[in-house]
Amino acid sequence: MIPDTFNLTLLFPEAVLGLILVLALLGEIATPKPRPTRFSFTTLTALGGVVLAFAALLPLAGRSEAAFDGLFILDPFATFFKALFALSAIAVIQMSREYFAAASAKSSEFYLTLLCTLIGLFVLVSANDFLLLFVALEIVTLSFYILTAYAKRSLMSIEAGLKYLIIGSLASAFMIFGISLLYFLVGSTSFPEIREVFTAIPKNKLLLLGVLMVFAGMGFKMAIVPFQFWVPDVYEGAPVPTVAFLSVASKAAGFAILMRVFFTVFPALQSGRIVLFSALAFLTIAYGNLGALLQTNAKRLFGYSSIGHAGYLLIGAAVGTPESITASLFYLITYAVSTLAVFLILTVAGQKLQSDELVAYRGLGKRAPFLAGALFLALLSSAGVPPLAGFSGKFFVLLSAVRADLKLLVLFGALMVAVSLYYYLNFVRQMYFEESTRTETIEISWSSRLLIGILSAGILLVGIWQAPFMGFAQNAARYLF
Amino acid sequence: MILWLPWIPLLAAAVILTIPKEQQRLLRSIAITACALPFLLTLYHLWQFDLSRTGYQFVQRYPWLPAFGIQYQAGFDGINLTFCLLHALVSLAGVFVAARTQERPKEFLFYYLILTGSIYGVFTCLDLFFLYLYYEMTLIPLFPMIGIWGSQNKEYGAMKLTLFITTGAMLALFGLLLLYDKLGLNSFDLILIQDTLRTEPLGQTFQQLLAPFILVGFGVMASLWPLHSWSPIGYAAAPTAVSMLHAGVLKKMGPYFIIRVAVSFLPAGTAYWALSLAILAAIGIVYAGFAAIRQKDMKFMVGFSSVSHMGYVLLGIATLNLTGLSGAVLLIFSHGVMAACTFACIGFLYEQTHVRSLTDYGGLSKQVPFVAICFIMASMASLGLPGFSNFIAELMVFIGAWPVYPGLVILAVLGILITAIYLLRAIQKVCYGPVNPRWNQLRDAQSFAERFPFVLLLGALLLFGFWPNGLLRMIQPALGVLLS
Repeated sequence: MIPDTFNLTLLFPEAVLGLILVLALLGEIATPKPRPTRFSFTTLTALGGVVLAFAALLPLAGRSEAAFDGLFILDPFATFFKALFALSAIAVIQMSREYFAAASAKSSEFYLTLLCTLIGLFVLVSANDFLLLFVALEIVTLSFYILTAYAKRSLMSIEAGLKYLIIGSLASAFMIFGISLLYFLVGSTSFPEIREVFTAIPKNKLLLLGVLMVFAGMGFKMAIVPFQFWVPDVYEGAPVPTVAFLSVASKAAGFAILMRVFFTVFPALQSGRIVLFSALAFLTIAYGNLGALLQTNAKRLFGYSSIGHAGYLLIGAAVGTPESITASLFYLITYAVSTLAVFLILTVAGQKLQSDELVAYRGLGKRAPFLAGALFLALLSSAGVPPLAGFSGKFFVLLSAVRADLKLLVLFGALMVAVSLYYYLNFVRQMYFEESTRTETIEISWSSRLLIGILSAGILLVGIWQAPFMGFAQNAARYLF
Repeated sequence: MILWLPWIPLLAAAVILTIPKEQQRLLRSIAITACALPFLLTLYHLWQFDLSRTGYQFVQRYPWLPAFGIQYQAGFDGINLTFCLLHALVSLAGVFVAARTQERPKEFLFYYLILTGSIYGVFTCLDLFFLYLYYEMTLIPLFPMIGIWGSQNKEYGAMKLTLFITTGAMLALFGLLLLYDKLGLNSFDLILIQDTLRTEPLGQTFQQLLAPFILVGFGVMASLWPLHSWSPIGYAAAPTAVSMLHAGVLKKMGPYFIIRVAVSFLPAGTAYWALSLAILAAIGIVYAGFAAIRQKDMKFMVGFSSVSHMGYVLLGIATLNLTGLSGAVLLIFSHGVMAACTFACIGFLYEQTHVRSLTDYGGLSKQVPFVAICFIMASMASLGLPGFSNFIAELMVFIGAWPVYPGLVILAVLGILITAIYLLRAIQKVCYGPVNPRWNQLRDAQSFAERFPFVLLLGALLLFGFWPNGLLRMIQPALGVLLS
């Protein structure tokens, strides 16, 4: 007999993913090995699993309950992120299909690991206890070690995996040490109990040290300064689908637990949080955008620019009002839709061009007008040009920060948009203004064409008609306070 | 109906995307229709505009994001109706030029319509969020248009223009956000902000702090010296239709925002910085004038000339009195039409000859009399010959500025002399003098489609040259409201 407090229905989406994972694994073993095709059994099962998990989220929307005696909570905040993860996983699966069709590597394990990552992410944003949080985080991080080094014949990929492993382990070590410090002082790892003790003694040095160490673990996931060193090399070496998943889902997850922990567990840290986060936001925006100026490799470029975006996300967390969290969550939507579009196009084009260098994109405007046009749109959206998604994201984050008296940070963030426009437009310049020696047109599969079309429409839609997406974000943000 | 002004070109752009690129006639007719309809709509609003009323007319509003006080609000007063008329004229003339594009016409017309639509958006919207959104949206089509279809150093020109204007826009955005925060109205509604500030203006210190962000941020677009350097290079690189729209209309969005936001919302702050603005404007007049004398490339010459003329506009704004400001708005209109006409002439020649240097031409009034006459007329308008509206506009700027900055007025009048030097020299070298046999085969503008842009623009210049009150009777009451 299962006690009522277990409230197992809340874990329905995770259960779906788990079952599909087992099913796919067994199916993989049972079927003889055919040569890799675009519609392999695993691909379809993985895609179906993610769609089912997303569908399973829908009946849970709006619920705010706890399971396993408060170990696991499901509130609209968690649901928001789970939906974001599932939707980005769908795009990532499409990228993987493109990537492996051409790379002709054995791809089934990639999808299985992807599903495993997704389970970790789902549990992570629902964690209400540091122990569960750590376990989920390790599931995610370990899966990403595999995903990064997946192209095992490429030295770059192995190097990327190794770098991610070393720095990731360091971050995990920091985090678990921080958690043990908290446990040492509180005698529990549960969020509510730690909150109670921390609110009573917010000046305790040892507790603060614990908080900082936990923060380091999250900073690694979000890739904010000074935990960003792994980004450029890992982005350059890892397979593009992995990079896309890293830059959208993993960053969003880091951001989710950051907000969950800092607003529901350590709200007493308010003044310190504002100073720390705005200083780091400043450095992160500067590092990402200035670093990106000199890049000649598309994936590296997006590595740096994703650091810059993390800085803008952090502004919302620094302000820490329901309005600013809403703005940050909305920013995350705009960032996700633009970034996924960029990486899907990079996958499709990269496979045909056999390179991720910017010079390889010369003449793309003539060779593949559709790809180039969509990439132009996605790049401008990333830079924050209206009426595209990225503009609205930046606008509302900056608006919320102006109200919170972080005016210099706003000025800096606004000016850095002009800087970022330079490197994004530099990419556009390669596609449209430079001639290529190769002139043959590039074929695009209908499924990718469809998905790129949907994402481009999404960029316009989120940028122009912000209200419904703002509504999702607002609904999610409310549950943090 | 006012909502359709930006939306007709934008929707037509979407339609163009769906049409195969082989059907060039259809593409062209769609583009021309999509510019002609808003032109007619603008004339209709001009006709319906009630001169006896002050304040905004034809106002329509739709809630957009109520939580942040954002609404889609559009309407006209005398000021933006004048700007809208300018844009209607230039965009209609420009589309005939754009339709002649041979290389990838589909994409060019697509971008042209996006550009046209977003400028209409700027001049119709009365909500700061959407105003800013449309303002920056113009950058999307500009970059590829200059970079792909431009000439001579086009990549550099496109990048420089985009980055300068974006940096300015970001400063201005910061200013607008500060204003929004300080007002505490939780609204971007321009009419509401204007009414609120009339009864309870902002504090002096805050206005002084905020005004530079607006003045400099949008001043970049108005090619305020020393932030003008993107402008001649950008115009020289841009294809003809873009040069026409940019020098004619886009640049005028800078002064438009300065009047709407700085002069109207921050009178004390603007007054505090007015002298600095006027000095920079006067330096710009003389500096860009001398620079224009040195140019051999005609497009560079006209580019510097437009920087110089924007100096008069900014000087007129800096007077902060009714005469100077209405002179500035009238000059914006006149210069916009004139600059578009000049670029259309140069572009018409360049299409055939692929040279733009003054010394390459000669005696064109024999070979291509129609275009040569148009060029001469536009140049005469530019140097302020009575009969064109530029004359009355510049005169009003001087009269307005004389009591406030007499020294600068003397400098500015000197600027007219400089204008005369480079324009008369250009006319002499291009249209008169020994006939260059190289151009004996040059074709003049003959068909309706070729002549119409020139006739439209010069006709407007002459009309309001003899009847400046046609515009001033709309501009002055509206400015009176802003200044009161």
